[in-house]
Amino acid sequence: MNSMNLRKAVVGVLVCLFSLPVVYGQIHEKEKEFYRISTVPVPENIAMEVGGLALMQDGSMAVATRRGDVWIVSNPSLERGTPPVIQLFAQGLHEPLGLAYLGGDLYTAQRGELTKLSDTNGDRVADVYETVYSWPVSGHYHEYSFGPLITPDTSFFVTGNVAFGNEEWWRGESRVPWRGWIFKITKDRELEPWATGVRSPAGYGFINGELFYTDNQGDWIGSGGLWHVPKGAFMGHPAGLRWSQREESPVKISEEEFYTHLDKRQVRVNGAYVKPENVMNEENPAFLYQKKEVIPELQLPAVILPHGILGISNSEIIVDETGGVFGPFEGQVFIGDQGQSKIMRVDLEKINGQYQGVAFDFRSGFQSGVMRLEWDRKGHLFVGETNRGWGSAGTKNSGLQFVTWTGKMPFEMQTVKAKPDGFEVSFTMPVDKKSAEDLDSYVGKSYIYKYHAAYGSPQTNIEEVKLKGVKVSEDGMSVRIVADNLRQYHLHEFALQGIKSREGGEPLLHNFFYYTLNNIPQGDKLGMSELSTFRSSLVKKPAPKTTRRARSSRNSVLSDDEIQPLLAKNTCLACHMKDQQLVGPSYAAVAKRKYSNERIVELIYNPEPKNWPEYATPMAPMPQVPKEEALKIAAWINAIDD
Amino acid sequence: MKKHFTLTLLAVGLVVFQVLAQTQVPLEDMSSFREQAGNWQIVGDVIMDRSLDIHHDAEPEPQKKKKKKKKKNSEEPKRKAVTFTPGTGILLNMNDDVVKDHLVTTWEHGDVELELDVMIPKGSNSGIYLQGRYEVQLLDSWGVKQPRYGDLGGIYRNWETEPSLMLKGVPPTSNPAKAPGLWQHMKIRFRAPRFDEGGNKVANARFDFVEINGVRVHNNVEVALPTGGPIAKEEVARGPLMIQGDHGPVAFKNIEYTPLEASKVTLTDLKYEVYEGSFQNLGEMTDLEPVASGEAEEIDILVIGEEDRYGIVYNGKINIPEDDEYTFRMGYTGGFRLSVDGRAISEVNSNAARSQPIETVSLKKGSYDFELANIKNAPWHQPRLGLFVNSPSTDVKTFHHYDSYPLSEDFVAPILVNPGDRPRILRAFVNHEGGEKLVHTVGVGHPQQVNFIYDQDRADWVAAWRGDFVDATPMWHSRGNGSFRPRGAALWNDLSFSFAELADANAAFPRPEEKGAYSQKGYQLDPATGMPVFKHHYKGVEVTDALSPDPEGRYLQRKLTFSQGGLLNWYVKLAAGDVEQMPDGSFAIADRSFYINVLSGGAARVREVDGMKELVLPISGAEVNYEIIW
Repeated sequence: MNSMNLRKAVVGVLVCLFSLPVVYGQIHEKEKEFYRISTVPVPENIAMEVGGLALMQDGSMAVATRRGDVWIVSNPSLERGTPPVIQLFAQGLHEPLGLAYLGGDLYTAQRGELTKLSDTNGDRVADVYETVYSWPVSGHYHEYSFGPLITPDTSFFVTGNVAFGNEEWWRGESRVPWRGWIFKITKDRELEPWATGVRSPAGYGFINGELFYTDNQGDWIGSGGLWHVPKGAFMGHPAGLRWSQREESPVKISEEEFYTHLDKRQVRVNGAYVKPENVMNEENPAFLYQKKEVIPELQLPAVILPHGILGISNSEIIVDETGGVFGPFEGQVFIGDQGQSKIMRVDLEKINGQYQGVAFDFRSGFQSGVMRLEWDRKGHLFVGETNRGWGSAGTKNSGLQFVTWTGKMPFEMQTVKAKPDGFEVSFTMPVDKKSAEDLDSYVGKSYIYKYHAAYGSPQTNIEEVKLKGVKVSEDGMSVRIVADNLRQYHLHEFALQGIKSREGGEPLLHNFFYYTLNNIPQGDKLGMSELSTFRSSLVKKPAPKTTRRARSSRNSVLSDDEIQPLLAKNTCLACHMKDQQLVGPSYAAVAKRKYSNERIVELIYNPEPKNWPEYATPMAPMPQVPKEEALKIAAWINAIDD
Repeated sequence: MKKHFTLTLLAVGLVVFQVLAQTQVPLEDMSSFREQAGNWQIVGDVIMDRSLDIHHDAEPEPQKKKKKKKKKNSEEPKRKAVTFTPGTGILLNMNDDVVKDHLVTTWEHGDVELELDVMIPKGSNSGIYLQGRYEVQLLDSWGVKQPRYGDLGGIYRNWETEPSLMLKGVPPTSNPAKAPGLWQHMKIRFRAPRFDEGGNKVANARFDFVEINGVRVHNNVEVALPTGGPIAKEEVARGPLMIQGDHGPVAFKNIEYTPLEASKVTLTDLKYEVYEGSFQNLGEMTDLEPVASGEAEEIDILVIGEEDRYGIVYNGKINIPEDDEYTFRMGYTGGFRLSVDGRAISEVNSNAARSQPIETVSLKKGSYDFELANIKNAPWHQPRLGLFVNSPSTDVKTFHHYDSYPLSEDFVAPILVNPGDRPRILRAFVNHEGGEKLVHTVGVGHPQQVNFIYDQDRADWVAAWRGDFVDATPMWHSRGNGSFRPRGAALWNDLSFSFAELADANAAFPRPEEKGAYSQKGYQLDPATGMPVFKHHYKGVEVTDALSPDPEGRYLQRKLTFSQGGLLNWYVKLAAGDVEQMPDGSFAIADRSFYINVLSGGAARVREVDGMKELVLPISGAEVNYEIIW
């Protein structure tokens, strides 16, 4: 029954460029036992819309805001119960979206330049605003610049958003050189283009000394994710290719060549460009991995963060290097999300020389959009927040908070590794063997996202993962999941819904994992004899007494338990609950409207917000819900009896 | 997302012609005015020496204005505050103690829009009385920080003591006054008092707005009684314009007025058809059957009864009462097309846009086919459709139901930025005079209320204004567009580089796109003042550039330094536009919209490049100092 709460999936109600406020469920009430969010008290008149965070030498936290200020927060983690002191270090910057500390100075990327902020007279107020490098911008609102990231040789990485078309307001374009690029400002203050194909590269950082970045769903980007960015890589969005034929470009593919491989979908009808939309039931959709065969520079996401589930606008990347102070995830990667106001957790591995890995939910319930992450020296994870006019699950427009491990061990999947025949899941504490050996404790599916000019992609080529069996380790700290139909390049999503901890019989705090299987490793497979194939559902039991009518016997209406996976999978639960109003009306309220099942399906595909004027957030069209599932959901709704 | 589109003027059928509603007061002779003592005359040019007060004991207190004043005009200076040349085109008052009549027009007006240019010498005082009764003050208010009702643009008080007869003055909401001797632009829209059939006043006189130098300083201000010194105390439906002539010299040109009346434009035979569908563009409605239709008195999007995925087409007649220029302002969500006589006047062929396009077209008297089509397929937008029409001689008339386009639709709580006790620096994109977008621009607001925008791509100031600093709402509200707006009457500079090594004395200054050897280095804050000193690197020379207000906070001083002296063929561009040298040695630029006054660093000279006049300064030392005065 509580599977309803097991996944905090907030649907990305992203229609075109617009995201709408979303509401988070109650998972953060459980998360806070293990990871506590504290709010740094900020004076009422300061709009702390955080664009950048940098830990300073003395332990203060420097905070750059979208309002152009840089604040220095002394005692940011409220040591010994004492308040912070917040002082203005610099002001008047042009929407700085990053901050770095080097040699006593702060560096920030404004929209149009990299700036060094120096205090030369010792009063802790910047008096020199030095232009390190001024790059072109056209002045389009979406031309945000992020960074810098300081390299070991004290160069600076900077990333730049694309602009959008005037008439084709949905089409990302690069109006001036190096928009839609990741570039380096060298020590000699030269601009060195590094990679292109980025659309909205708000988060980037080093993992294992290599550059990674996150991007958001959008045109040409089916879902957000985490990408490895070697020099000369092409991340997938064609806008920046406009400059790839320049001498200094390390990327070779030209814009013209790109469009010989992929359909630009630039069509005029009745004198107006038509916005490309997802083609339902498309016969031969393009996928990144196929196009990589003809565009070798094309970089597959190392980890897909499925849109609407693990964020809708991924941001900062940060590696846990706290040596265990922050809990059991040393060496793993945390990734923020603005729209869903939460932090995800990622663990990478390298298979066949390529990065891939697993993603989980980690912590939700921040007061605004999670934009920046930074450690202090005590192992607090500082979270700089803003929703910058895009809306966020956290309803405030700004915030400075930090996360502390309470010291209590959460029951979590510690990590997931790919195996030749499936996955190996390890846990933070021993699992109850009986529950872990039951195949009914696991539900898996795999899918992929399209690579096309439309905004985002539905989950495509969805297929259930067929389990052959599982093997639980002696100590109960890991499980091998063996499956028949692993699919390379696809995202494998598993719910470990039945797993319980050995001590206390607790369910997993977050029971979903999402593994991006770019490569299936070689090696030995487990023999059938080693596997448990037990399914508790196949054991004869007396017929369960249901209090609900309309069990599957009649009209094949699903029970509450049976409908949950469908509601979860299709991200319905992000906005709807059975009996309670959430973002949208409760299903019971929908049932009262006495729509036919077919009409409900129609409304899933093409919602009519006017039917629910008291709800501020209009429902997004959900054409990706398979019709048979939509019908089952509709039948279940109509069977709700109040 | 704003759509930009241009309207090609309606060529055939809707002929462009001279608009008759607006009247230019001919300043060839005095025939537009009643007889006066002779202090008013028509002249060819007026020079006002910005540094000379018209009195030797200037009386800055405007309260004393209406009281009898003792003239102490004893000393005769070598330079005169005001000189003129014969000719036509400018109306000038030069009163003395005896010859000091007010000037009254031979024509009378009721509701009117008045536009003129005015030049006020240092220390002078005048006023424009609408209907001879309601005065908008003219005063040399240059640099006044907290303007009062007696400053330029103030609506004056009267001097009654009985409470029911007292009229409080209304100060301008800001002070856009320019320096003495510069032309200043005023635009006033006045609404006369209304009377019932018995002659009883039923509505007060009202200034719909007063604008000075493009800045609105009054918005819908009622005047319950005549201000002090009216032509007559009783209020009337029509009266002459009167200009005060007894308190000092003042000059006018380009006086234009437009009588206003209620709009007689009507929509008749209005019918609508409603469509349903996920429309991508306006053309998709063409072949569909309407799901509903009806007759209408006015435009009302709510008749559809749908929130989204709709289309509606209104058809009818628009009746144009007289030949004139008609301005159509749309409010909509989704996309729309407005057609008159079968031609699209205004169109945004989208299904998800939202804007307020304004188009002006010339229409001849007559009845034309009218069609307004609207679609929306964007659930995040409310249904909205509104149409406003006005002409130069009429106020705005609304052709939609209130709820179809509610008034508050286009407003958000503004985010205003001002300096505190230290200068406020803020970078943002800037639309240069509302046009070209400048991107590496830094705004500087000074506590003395002298503000400027510096463009690092040009190493030059690009705008300067007094008063409040900037409106950052466009940058910070919601996701924003990265730009801010000056909150005062901005003086815009031209857009070439500020300094350069030129191949010869007649070579043009480079534009930023050809900057080459130049690189910007940011700025350093002066520890004493908190003001930025901008730094540049150009051809091996370090250049610093500091702009700051004069001690009284009225204008800007600029100091450029160069790390090397003896720079041959290096020039500073001081200004572009018409240049006149004034009696005090400074230069008036662009039809006297501002002054450049060189203090040191070389001798300025006028040159012409590509048909454009420029004031340039060959650099003779390592430092250049000059003033920008407006």
